[in-house]
Amino acid sequence: MNSVSPSAAQYIGGVMQDDLVDTRRQQPMEQQSSFGLRSPQSPDPSREPTGEPDEMDKLKAKLMSAWNNIKYGWTVKSKTSFNKISPVTVLGHSYLLNSEDEVERFRLAFVSRIWLTYRREFPQLEGTTWTTDCGWGCMLRSGQMLLAQGLLVHLMPRDWAWPDAQQLTDVDFEVFRPRSPTRAAGLPIPSFGSPRGSNTPERSNPSDQLPQRKRPECARDRQAEPIHHRLVTWFGDQPPAPFGVHQLVEIGKSSGKKAGDWYGPSVVAHILRKAIAKASVVHNLVVYVAQDCTVYKEDVVRLCDLSLSETAPRPSSQAWKSVIILVPVRLGGEALNPSYIECVKNILKLECCIGIIGGKPRHSLFFIGFQDEHLLYLDPHYCQSVVDVTQANFSLESFHCSSPKKMPFTRMDPSCTIGFYAKNIKDFESLCSAVSVALSSSKEKYPIFTFVEGHSQDYGLEGHSSNHSGPAAHILPLSKQDRSNNRRNSDEFVFL
Amino acid sequence: MPPLEKPPLQNKPFKQRKSFATRKQEVAGIRSKFPNKIPVIIERYEKEKYLPPLDKTKFLVPHELTMAQFVTIIRNRMALLPTQAFYLLINKSGLASMSLTMAQVYKDHQDEDGFLYMTYASQEMFGH
Repeated sequence: MNSVSPSAAQYIGGVMQDDLVDTRRQQPMEQQSSFGLRSPQSPDPSREPTGEPDEMDKLKAKLMSAWNNIKYGWTVKSKTSFNKISPVTVLGHSYLLNSEDEVERFRLAFVSRIWLTYRREFPQLEGTTWTTDCGWGCMLRSGQMLLAQGLLVHLMPRDWAWPDAQQLTDVDFEVFRPRSPTRAAGLPIPSFGSPRGSNTPERSNPSDQLPQRKRPECARDRQAEPIHHRLVTWFGDQPPAPFGVHQLVEIGKSSGKKAGDWYGPSVVAHILRKAIAKASVVHNLVVYVAQDCTVYKEDVVRLCDLSLSETAPRPSSQAWKSVIILVPVRLGGEALNPSYIECVKNILKLECCIGIIGGKPRHSLFFIGFQDEHLLYLDPHYCQSVVDVTQANFSLESFHCSSPKKMPFTRMDPSCTIGFYAKNIKDFESLCSAVSVALSSSKEKYPIFTFVEGHSQDYGLEGHSSNHSGPAAHILPLSKQDRSNNRRNSDEFVFL
Repeated sequence: MPPLEKPPLQNKPFKQRKSFATRKQEVAGIRSKFPNKIPVIIERYEKEKYLPPLDKTKFLVPHELTMAQFVTIIRNRMALLPTQAFYLLINKSGLASMSLTMAQVYKDHQDEDGFLYMTYASQEMFGH
């Protein structure tokens, strides 16, 4: 993806040659205007001049974002290879890439996912001088992508695909690779991952390159475009956007996080839960976050069943809210426990799965599928200029990714949050059984997490509370003189 | 970024502090005195930065206690909020279901020395 990088390139000179060449993609109109857009729009004058970062800070931010883009491989592109023997799974759908048709279906499945990345030059985060999340906000971005996927499933037609999805870039499909001097099936190789440097001719009109099958759903998907647009605006980098970085950082404060901090998959799960609860734009949707690797089914039902809630159900509204279920887990100590790989694959094969937020150590990614021993992901570490989503017809291009990337399962960080979606009670029931089957595929003795009947409080400590009074008293650090004393005591058993 | 906790005094893992023979003997002794209890070692993941150290490592746990109850006890000892990430990893690598009883976990995963080893950890943070 190089669509919006030229402004970064200007600051680094020679290093980003590739990117300069890459300005091939015509800049969407509002990209140019995006620098000046805040002042006319901002309804709240108070956040304007106070503590505005000086020129030095701005330059620093730009350099940092440019460096970031080099560091994470957005400028020196490498191709991602896909073989034609093993299916690629993308969120519950599998594609065996041995034919043009399947590659096309895979393209739509991948590019239609919403891609949220670092942005720079957005309105200051309240009470700070931050105008970018570059270098710290990747887990928030992954969380946004997970939520966006949940919202796509919630609001868009079934198996919706973006009618304007870009062609794939920087990919290498075995099926299109010539085996002999005669090209296999005479397919036009250059449409996929054109080699670096020959950037000029491509991407004219997608239909020249691949015979575009008319999907029967095409008209339906086109009609859903206004919803797609609106959905993206909710993730805009402006304070009022309900799922924008500004809101999420604000909500995270109650978990002890602030702008510039690093976030974890579990913290972000709770931030998303609160963001949905707070948002007025989405109705009939709740987020449930599992605690201690357990989904208590009655707790989910209590959240979703409107007839159980205190507020009298309006007869017009549905009796059941849809639910996004988030399960924060830790799949190993230092490294991913390899016994869980099969299970993670089986989860990603489920249609109710909306993705996994996790990453490589310290580096967050949004996992949406796999091929063989490699995870397929969307990477938030590409720093793009802010897009003003309040402008009518802003370009969606920078919110979709055209270059799929893979990484080996063995590099996956054990900390992650797995996401699911159920539209109604029936969906939820089948989700529970489908996920349980997938979970039982673990080579470990016990599953990653479990579904349990009843409420969490039913499993609490009633009757076992003899030992947990005054818990804080047991916590170190102790004062110095206590330590020797404690060392002796620590060798004694605690009776439960 | 949270400040790095200074390693507590007894920062060596239990297994390195005591020989196999000593540990085995210790289990035999305690099991004969309390046949209805399971000896469990709970240690902090060596790179844990967010959860506090526990003051005790050795626990004697009733057979019928469930993992859910056990986790709640440990969480309470650390005064954690329910939303704070806390995982007990068996033998440093596997998660245990909350509905299991300690007897089941012990049967499946006890060490050769007779202890059941668990490590507690929160989640890693991401930022680069």
